[in-house]
This record gives sequence, C-alpha cells and structure tokens, in this order.
Amino acid sequence: MSAATPFGSAGNTPVRAGILDRARTVAPGSYNRFLVPPAALAVHLSIGQAYAFSTFNLPLTKLLGITQSAPGDWSLKAVGWTFSIAILFLGLSAALFGRWAESAGPRKAMCVAACCFGGGFLVSALGIHLHEIDLLYFGYGVLGGCGLGIGYISPVSTLIKWFPDRPGMATGMAIMGFGGGAMIAAPLSIFLMDYFKTPENNGVFESFMTMGVIYFLFMMFGAAIVRVPPADWKPRGWTPSVTPKKLVTTANVHVDVAWKTRQFWLLWGVLCMNVTAGIGVLSQASPMIQEMFAGGVSAAGAASFVGLLSLFNMGGRFVWASVSDYLGRKNTYFIFFVLGIGLYALVPSIGMAGSKPLFVLAFGVILSMYGGGFATIPAYLRDIFGTMHVGAIHGRLLTAWAAAGVLGPVLVSYIRDFQIQNGVPKAQAYSVTMYIMCGLLLIGLLCNVCIRAVSPELHHRETEV
Amino acid sequence: MVRLKLALCWLIVGLPLVWGVAKTMQNAIKLFQ
Repeated sequence: MSAATPFGSAGNTPVRAGILDRARTVAPGSYNRFLVPPAALAVHLSIGQAYAFSTFNLPLTKLLGITQSAPGDWSLKAVGWTFSIAILFLGLSAALFGRWAESAGPRKAMCVAACCFGGGFLVSALGIHLHEIDLLYFGYGVLGGCGLGIGYISPVSTLIKWFPDRPGMATGMAIMGFGGGAMIAAPLSIFLMDYFKTPENNGVFESFMTMGVIYFLFMMFGAAIVRVPPADWKPRGWTPSVTPKKLVTTANVHVDVAWKTRQFWLLWGVLCMNVTAGIGVLSQASPMIQEMFAGGVSAAGAASFVGLLSLFNMGGRFVWASVSDYLGRKNTYFIFFVLGIGLYALVPSIGMAGSKPLFVLAFGVILSMYGGGFATIPAYLRDIFGTMHVGAIHGRLLTAWAAAGVLGPVLVSYIRDFQIQNGVPKAQAYSVTMYIMCGLLLIGLLCNVCIRAVSPELHHRETEV
Repeated sequence: MVRLKLALCWLIVGLPLVWGVAKTMQNAIKLFQ
C-alpha cells in the first residue's frame, strides 16, 4: 500500500482506504507539523486522569451509605485494586499492541484508545449503578488500562517522525500531558461529584458517565487532527547531521530483534530504576511530609505538596526532554542519576534541619527527573534503535513501568513499617528508604553507563516496514 | 486559515491544562500558610 495516496489495492482494483487507515492520514503539503503535539496532548491529557483516580477512592466506598461507609459498601482496599489493574493492563497492552499501533497508524490507535478509555468509564459507571465491583475492575481496570497503554504509545513515533530535529522536545510535549492530566482530572472529578450529588446519591455514577463522554470526545479530537508525514519528509531547511554521533543511529532495528539486545535491557533497567525511585516517593508523599515535619504540615498542606510534585513531574517532562536534544540522552540520564543520588542522600538532613522550602525543592527536582525519565526514553530508543519500530519498542519497554509501579511503593511503605516496628521515630523512618533509593539510582547509573550503539549486524535491511 | 486552525487546536488543549495548573498552584499556597 502506498503511503502517499489514500488508496490501497485488492488484486488489480484500487480500494479506497478507510478513514482511520494510515494511508488516509498522510499530511497534505499545507499541513503544519505543530498540529501534531495538540493531537498527542489531547490523548495524553485524557489518559493522565489515571494519576487522579484516587479522588474517587473514598466516594466509591460510600455508594450505599452516601455520607459514610455502610455494611455492604466496597472497602478501600478493594477499590484500590482498580488502579493497580489499570496500570498492569497499561504495561501489558503497550507491550502487546505496540507493534499493531505502529502499523495501524496513530489515528486508528487513538480511536481504539478513546473507545477503550471512554468505554471503560461507562462500563465502570454501570458497575457503580449495579454495585458490582467486578464491572469496575473490568471497566476502568481492564478496558481503561488498555486505553491507557494504547493511548500512551499511539502518538510517540508519529511525533518523532515529524520532529527529527527535536525528538526530545516533541515527545516531551506529549508525555507532559500525561503528567498534567491529573491536574485537570482531580478538580474536575471533585466538581462533577459536587454538581451531581443529592441526599440519596453521592454523584459518582453520573461523574463516571460524564467523564467517559468528555474523555472519549477529547481523545477523538486528537485522532481527527493527527497526521503522519509523507515518506521522506524533512523539516524545511533541516539537514541531518553529517558527522555521525556515537549513540545516534541512522539505521533501524526491528522490534523482534531490538528486545533481545543488551541495549534494550539496559534501557529497561534505566527506566525501571528511575521510575522506582520517583513512584515510591509519589505514592507516600502525603504521609511522608506530615511525618517528617510532625505538627508542621496539615493534611491539606500535604495534599498541596502532592499537587506541587505533580507540577514538577509535568514540567520536568517537557524541560528535561527538550534539554536532552542538546545534551544527548545518555548525558541527561547521567544527570538524573547523579543529581538524584545527591538529593536523596540530602533529604534526611534537610528533614532533620526542619527546612520545608528546601524539602519541597529537593523533592520537586527529584520528581522533575522522574517525569523527565519518562519523556526522554522514546528519544533515547530512537537514537539507539532508529525510528522504524520505535513505538513498538517503546511499548515493550513500558513493562519496566509496570514493574516499577509495584516495586517502588512496596519498597517505601514496607521499609517505613519495618523501621517503625523496630522503634525508629516516624520522622526518621524514611532515612533508610532514601539511602536505598540512592542504591537503586546507582544501579540505573551503571546501566546507563554500559549503553553502547547496537551492532550494525542487527540493523534492519529494508528502509520501509 | 492554517494558523487559525493551529491557534484553535492549541487553545482547545491549552485551556484545560492552564485551568488545572492554576487550581494546583492555588492549592499549593496552603502548604506554606
């Protein structure tokens, strides 16, 4: 099938490609490439809602009792599984459907993601209405999780192809949306529940229905405006560098070959360690600041701290990924790990000194590097494996996120509990955790240092998929 | 026409994001009160 015309062929008869097919999304000459980041942002801002799912946790435990949990209401632990299932399916679907999303094109992938994510909300709403938690797990966890995974990877390779001159900045812009989505979803969920609540109903069912429709439409808007560049397209006035860089390939590595290479697993380690360190802090941020500054930070103040961390997480995605275009990916990750080790090692002293602004700043920078790690990895993959299968390879690499999503929070909470059981004061219970995080970042640093270019023998022979 | 479309698309995704960031910043003040 030609990439330049909207026609496919069946035997000798030309067949017009469907509206969602890659062939129909090839950009016309007048297309402005800066329309692609809003398309990607529309998807990522929507699926970023996942980070704010916890706003529904308590209301979901009061569906029968309305003001407080009644017998028969779901427990917080049972509701908590919904988010874990969603993250698990994010990793699985990104790994399983990455190759399909690459060949189907961004529009089809975004539509499927919109149907899964929006539909997941609607199925969950039905589960809430019938008070069937399995439907909530299936709706938000399984369907929604698949929407998260497919939606996350769908615009990445398209952006890299449109911005060969600034791949870090382009993917950073999109992945920034995933961090920013929670900042929209948290106040939106609270507003909707307030709007729909009555004395007999806490408004969760209606909020899920409304959010399902809003997110579906918003993601479909992204699918409608996204375009892929014509074959051999280059930005005007841009010529690829003639002096080859050691870690930036102009060749391509097939996804089935890439994931068997040493480089893939080293990058997996880099992402996993960087995410483990960040996600562990994110999951415990609220109790951590309250316990380390006993009496100095209220619950509302702690919630503000979590909000500020989201802001640093979002900003870091754009800033660090853009900076990586100038510094190189390996150097950027080197900074993440070295600076991260230094900051984690300093946190216990900052806590003991009682300096709240320094504490917030230290964790702000740590979280900016957590977000930066997510946003820089697609460009790192493109540098190492080329653009051909970067979306599919990225999908498989996201299993590192799923692993870190379990490892990080478990590590932080387990060590804290162990410390407290052994008589360590709550304010100091996080010190050992911080030093363990330093160790994890050191492993990540070593993985990063070991990354070398892929052997030319493994390069793909053809230029087209 | 292309520029208008571009501005409109950025506005559609930018406005909710700015609203979310503003809400977060508003709440962040509480931390230092």
